[in-house]
Amino acid sequence: MKLGVNILPLALVGLVVTIIVAFLIYVLATSWFSNAPFGLADAPPQPIPFPHTVHAGSVEQGGAGIQCEFCHRNVTKGASATVPAVENCLFCHKQINAENDTGETTANVAQIQRVVDKYHDDNPINWERVHRLPDHARFVHEAHIRFLTQGESRIVTLPMGDEKPQQLPLSIGEACSVCHGNVAEMTEVQPQEGQSLKMGTCLDCHRQTNASTDCTICHK
Amino acid sequence: MKLTRRNFLAWAGLSAVGAVACDVFGEDRRELKVQSPVMQPEDLVKGTDNWYATLCRQCPTNEGIVVRVMEGRAKKIQGNPDYPVNLGKQAARCDAGLQALYHPDRLAGPMKRTGSKGSGEFTEITWDQGLDDLKTALGTHGDGLLIITEPVRAHSAMITDKFAKAFNGTHLGFEAFDQGVYRTAVKSVFGQDTLPDFDIGSSNYLLSFGADFLSTWISPTRWSIGYGAFRDSSNGGHRGTHVHIDPRFSMTASNADKWLPVAPGVEGHLALSIAHVIISEGLQADGVDIDALTSGRGVAALTDYSPERVGPMLNLHEGILNGHSGADLIKELAREFASHTPALAIGGDSSSAYSNGLFNAEAIYALNYLVGSVGNQVAFSPESPLSDLPSTANVGGLADWSENISNIENGKTRLVMVHNADPVYGLPESSGMSAALSRDSVFVVSFSSFIDDTTVMADLILPDRNYLEDWGSDIPEPGPGHQVIGIQQPVVNPLSELDPRSFGDVLLAIGQELGKESDLPWVSVKQALRETSDSLYDMNKGSVSGATKDLYWNSMLRNGGWWDSSSSPVSVQAPAGILNDIASRGSEAKFSGEGFHLIPFLHNTLLDGRNAHLPWAQSAPDPITSVAWQTWVEINEKQMENLGIREGDVVSVTSNAGRITAPAYPNPGMPPDIVGVPLGQGHKNGPDYATIGDSRDSSNIIDILSAVRVDGTRSIAWASNKVQVQPTGDSVRVTKLEGEYESREIGNIIDNNPGEEIIKTTSGEEGH
Repeated sequence: MKLGVNILPLALVGLVVTIIVAFLIYVLATSWFSNAPFGLADAPPQPIPFPHTVHAGSVEQGGAGIQCEFCHRNVTKGASATVPAVENCLFCHKQINAENDTGETTANVAQIQRVVDKYHDDNPINWERVHRLPDHARFVHEAHIRFLTQGESRIVTLPMGDEKPQQLPLSIGEACSVCHGNVAEMTEVQPQEGQSLKMGTCLDCHRQTNASTDCTICHK
Repeated sequence: MKLTRRNFLAWAGLSAVGAVACDVFGEDRRELKVQSPVMQPEDLVKGTDNWYATLCRQCPTNEGIVVRVMEGRAKKIQGNPDYPVNLGKQAARCDAGLQALYHPDRLAGPMKRTGSKGSGEFTEITWDQGLDDLKTALGTHGDGLLIITEPVRAHSAMITDKFAKAFNGTHLGFEAFDQGVYRTAVKSVFGQDTLPDFDIGSSNYLLSFGADFLSTWISPTRWSIGYGAFRDSSNGGHRGTHVHIDPRFSMTASNADKWLPVAPGVEGHLALSIAHVIISEGLQADGVDIDALTSGRGVAALTDYSPERVGPMLNLHEGILNGHSGADLIKELAREFASHTPALAIGGDSSSAYSNGLFNAEAIYALNYLVGSVGNQVAFSPESPLSDLPSTANVGGLADWSENISNIENGKTRLVMVHNADPVYGLPESSGMSAALSRDSVFVVSFSSFIDDTTVMADLILPDRNYLEDWGSDIPEPGPGHQVIGIQQPVVNPLSELDPRSFGDVLLAIGQELGKESDLPWVSVKQALRETSDSLYDMNKGSVSGATKDLYWNSMLRNGGWWDSSSSPVSVQAPAGILNDIASRGSEAKFSGEGFHLIPFLHNTLLDGRNAHLPWAQSAPDPITSVAWQTWVEINEKQMENLGIREGDVVSVTSNAGRITAPAYPNPGMPPDIVGVPLGQGHKNGPDYATIGDSRDSSNIIDILSAVRVDGTRSIAWASNKVQVQPTGDSVRVTKLEGEYESREIGNIIDNNPGEEIIKTTSGEEGH
């Protein structure tokens, strides 16, 4: 049958096209509502590896236990959390470097020395941005930190991460991890599943906490 | 595939679409970089700032300012670049306004007196109680009330005037050194009710008498901008020549090409002598009708003022005369003045504060007719487009205060309301203001944000909002030669712990409750301002544009006001025979007391003491002596040697009216028979910064001025006192920036010679 001869390749082509279209729709839809799949939204490698596990990780697990706001100094004061100046790295790395044997591996010492060199050469570090909101959205870290870390004791289910009810007020570190995930356990910081920083998530959270959902609250 | 024309176009189109699509959907990787600066910037400020245009109220000039506001807090005050008076520049006094806003000693809310008058014992009350007390006072003894404010114009003046009138009372502005003499002289010489603007920038020659116009006189920021242009020869212009005539070595004198420290009180004679030379040598500008100015008498009208007669009166030091006679100097000055047109003569401050101050001022300003600068370098702004807005401040003189004090004493005035003025501090003790206000028969209401020498006498304190929290307006005087209405808008809300209320709003609310709606029809000052905006919108002219009345109002607030640069200055006709008239009124200055001539002067930042509670104003060093935080007595170095005193020795300054003490400061620029003392310190009551000094280094010179008036005016002759200066035996350290700072190398241990002196500057040498 003439029809039978032609239907198989057509069906195959159709199937392939359908799979491709479905895949594209999946990628687009996921990207639209949450983080892009397959690490497409991931930031490229940082110019100098910065293991948050070592710096912010708990002392029991071998970290230095440095609080978030020690380096991201503006997070409790203004809109941007800000990355620290190279000078701030030297607070510790003046001592922890190649000149002093602090038990670091050779590879680590080489990376630390790059930071020290940047400081002495008056050379800023250009980090790769991991979290970014679109230009038309305004986000003030200070207001959110204040909401999560101050006020009376109350239980709120925040639609982030594992969506477990949270006992407020939180510590500053816990407040950061509501949106950014547990950065202290990340060797390389990347966007976390279920913590997409998309408008839907903002709105869900604002609704659950009776915060304003007026457009101009977030949109410029 | 063959590359046909059609294929080529198709591929080209596809590539273009692809390129656009990639650009649209991709992100510029550079935007995704976050940079760690190498050093943590100390002044790193994150956040968004807003700049709001409003008006400064730190001095009577009311300059246009823009205020940087972050997160609801005012952070920095700068000049408004669009405001025609100060064109983006501002005085140091404007900067200090932030400290008035966030002063720790601001009164939080209404208070009522509990102790005896002047005891400073108050208890806090609510606004309802405070306003009820005010209403009761107005009801029982409001008739004939006296309202004393800072010099105000435009809406503040209109509302306060109407309020005072509604209660059959008086509203007077208060300034320690009022401009009454200057105003009277302007009226008689130019026939105008407003003060003139001077185009210093376009002048070639500037002759100034007494007026410290680069520091404190009238509109110093505006004059300084003009002075910059006057001195600037970079754009092919000519660098102007400036001669300053003043017994005291002021900041303006220090900037002049030539400073002539003439004997106090001869300024008018010198001016008419210059006129004598100009007329007798025919040096007047083209088209100047000498006959009209002298009633046809020509130089004969000025016979008494020939250089030969006036020269010796100047009493100039031989070093200045340099072998010539005083007459030669006057002739040379007159020829230079007349030949370097456009030329400008201005005078004020001490020259108009002797007993013959009015004659001096008239003679000085009349010189402008001879060089043809009236209407050009001396310009009068046109009247306000809205006739109900007062464009001059009604400021009282000594005579007005004496009248009002007797009204209080004889019971005609039983209610005094004071707003942003401190007459107890700013009038001589002999005026009796303090004694009058402390009478039980008078109910005193202060609207001050701070305790001061007048507020401490109050029965009721209803603290006003700071000007950065309040609505208002101003018609600058002098204006810039065209019509201007400046708008003051609140740029921040009061701090939560403060509960001040706008003085204007309180007057309107109280007036309406007491049935004066017809006089005071507005709900708030803001509403009155909005009505002005709507009227200007209907006139459809000036700098502001807006499609609707709302947009127009917004635009006016954004710009800091309304101005119409197309409106032209008023043309001035010389009164017939003006030189003849002035010459016939000539008189010599009379002085009370013996010893040194006392020339008090407004402090560069504290002015007449109104900013003494602001640490920035206190710590700004005086431009000549570099002294801060203190009163000082400037005396000629040689005279100090004769008196056996050194810098910092506390001297008593005794006039016919009283005695103060203050540390002596040797000033080689001071003529031997003059002492200069700044105003500003010596507050008895007030915030710590205003009262921190003791009687040795913080005194109020106004206290010892004789209550003598300038002949023919209502103003005090504040430069007509002579004083005895005597050491008290006490000594204090003069807080100053210049001189006698030793710089030593720190610990040169190796050759065991620590502290080897490397630089030492002492007074008399120049420190770097």
